[in-house]
Amino acid sequence: MSLLNQYFSVFVQGFGHTLLASIIALIGSLVLGTLFAIMQVSSSKTGRIIGNIYVQVFRNIPLLIITLFLYLAVAKVIKMTGFVAGTVGLTLYTSAFIAESVRAGILSIEAGQMEGARANGLTFNQAMRVIILPQAFKVAIPSLGNQFINLVKNSSILAFVGGLDLMYQGNLVAASSFDTFTTYIIIGVFYLVITMPLSYYVQHLETKLKKKA
Amino acid sequence: MSMIEFKDVQKYYGDFHALHDVNLKIDAGETVVLIGPSGSGKSTLIRTINGLEEIEEGQLLVDGFDLHDPKTDINKIRKNVGMVFQHFNLYNNKTVLENIMLAPRLVLHRDEAENKRIAMELLEQVGLADKANSMPAALSGGQKQRVAIARSLAMKPKALLFDEPTSALDPEMIGDVLDVMRDIARDSDMTLLVVTHEMSFAKAVADRVIFMADGRILEDSSTEAFFENPTEPRAKKFLSQVEHH
Amino acid sequence: MEKIRKRRFGIIASLVLAALILLGAFWASVTIDKNKTHQDTLARVERKGQITWGVKADTKLFGLMDTKTAQPAGFEIDLAKAMTAQIAKQTNTKLSAAFVPVSSASRIQLLKNTNIDGLISTMTITPERAKIVDFTNVYFNAGQSLLVKKDSGIQSVKDMNDPKYTVLVVVGTTAAQETKKYAPKAKIIALQDYASAMQALKSGQGQALSTDNAILYGLATENPDYHLVGGVFTKAPYGMAFDHNQKPMTKQANRALKTLQENGTYNRLVEKWFHNVPGLDWHDLEVNK
Repeated sequence: MSLLNQYFSVFVQGFGHTLLASIIALIGSLVLGTLFAIMQVSSSKTGRIIGNIYVQVFRNIPLLIITLFLYLAVAKVIKMTGFVAGTVGLTLYTSAFIAESVRAGILSIEAGQMEGARANGLTFNQAMRVIILPQAFKVAIPSLGNQFINLVKNSSILAFVGGLDLMYQGNLVAASSFDTFTTYIIIGVFYLVITMPLSYYVQHLETKLKKKA
Repeated sequence: MSMIEFKDVQKYYGDFHALHDVNLKIDAGETVVLIGPSGSGKSTLIRTINGLEEIEEGQLLVDGFDLHDPKTDINKIRKNVGMVFQHFNLYNNKTVLENIMLAPRLVLHRDEAENKRIAMELLEQVGLADKANSMPAALSGGQKQRVAIARSLAMKPKALLFDEPTSALDPEMIGDVLDVMRDIARDSDMTLLVVTHEMSFAKAVADRVIFMADGRILEDSSTEAFFENPTEPRAKKFLSQVEHH
Repeated sequence: MEKIRKRRFGIIASLVLAALILLGAFWASVTIDKNKTHQDTLARVERKGQITWGVKADTKLFGLMDTKTAQPAGFEIDLAKAMTAQIAKQTNTKLSAAFVPVSSASRIQLLKNTNIDGLISTMTITPERAKIVDFTNVYFNAGQSLLVKKDSGIQSVKDMNDPKYTVLVVVGTTAAQETKKYAPKAKIIALQDYASAMQALKSGQGQALSTDNAILYGLATENPDYHLVGGVFTKAPYGMAFDHNQKPMTKQANRALKTLQENGTYNRLVEKWFHNVPGLDWHDLEVNK
């Protein structure tokens, strides 16, 4: 506990960066993932091909490689800090999984919903936005919840590119205090502070939706 | 002036020839009933009219637009041609009232107060004003179909397509839906095209009856002529089978 | 009947599980306790007939994993082998040397957990570290320096004292603290290992890589566009390390090191590993016999 006192501001700084990276990546990957899920179910052949390639590429490459590629190679052209590279890498990687969850959600909605909306005069995009996606997200919530919890834990990837997150600060504290064990227990608890309420909230949403249905 | 016109239309599903040399003209304001055995292409034909199915060859003019022309904006046609489905296809995530108000709001940009007034009028007309705030899941099949009809009417279409609107309903629900349809045929000057197996409805309401089998139109005659003296042997056979039920 | 049986099974299973967990925790604490307090490192290595050295696997010239043989190779590896042989001679036991790659961040924990017996891993002797481990005498006089791009115009660490500059360091080294003393305004980013730090330098994520000159020489031999500037701005002598309060082991190690330096073995290893480093006169690293 003296370790926690001594390095409290360092841990808090790391916690802040982890939280910020997680929030940005969560929103970003939800938007990107939904976009590519829609492309995959659209009637446009090019859209389907692009959507498919995107998902296959980012789902099947380790997050570490994506992040290092951004930090070490892409950064030569587009300047970005480790925090940015890590957050963007996390966003791209997670969005591929979210695209799959959302796509499965969309496919579980009966075709009649889209036909009804199109016959009623709505465009494909309007029908998606107002009719299909709200229903698809309900179906996808358990799987999306898992992705979000994974996202928070995966944010430790930032440590590999000097992203100032919890894991990064933990490494530094461990190295200068020589108390690796206690340090990692402390940062583990900090991660729980984010993931526990998140998974509780997802569970709560699930039961709420089940009651409604 | 014709509202819907098919000229030598062909439609294929892979090798299957779904619509075979279809030529058909429906004038504005006409009520036409389309009958035939299952698999005859009735549903396919009606679904080409609002572009839910594409045609491979020929010309299909709806409200002056050529559906086979890639430059045609299909949404313009759908604004003016409503459709009622066998399985209702109500928006499961919206209340009854929202189901009716959604398309006029998004597509026609109708004033919100006006939109609500029209929607409530239509619910009154189909006898479901008390269900305005219910979710579709809480309705019976017959109620759902009447909401679906109100939803189509809210767009004030020039033509309305019915694709077997009573086939999925329990027998005791069918009457209410047919009553609503009969009122529409009597009171409005919309063009109506109805795919159905309800012969009494056809006799009472239709100006013309079209008989299809194997993707072809085999008979196209006035209602009396068709029921009293069908010319095609297959139409005769079909009628005798249906009337036995 | 069925229900009761099921419930009984559940209770028994829970009890067994709880007992197992307790037993496991007890065993672990006893093991850790034993390793922590009662074990004498010298006695342990004599009993095992082996000294397990924690070494670097990512540091050219000192300890670098040879991907073909899957064995680390470098000055420290050879020195550890010579030390092991010499200690064996001194204690009249048969000893072999084994190597475990360690990272700067984890090496002290590994030593404390007795996963390894000793460390010879480019580790600088510092007062803080000396409180928790026992250091031998200095075996390599390293010092912190700066690796920059040849056309960068940076001449010394003082030139880096500007918020627009980022100095790259490696987690678990003393480089970050030392750099802050000389260039307090510069940003400092710590990376996981030298390979990614070097790659980050090449990608422009920082303008300088700072660590011990000994390591920078290894990096400079492989990256001709980069060079060391400003000489050393700290003294960072390397020592071998054993767990705290291991006097017998440390004493044996110091005696062995002295012997190796006196009998020429040490200088032969210096020549073997440092004779063709550009810009370095390897004779400067020799010890006087």
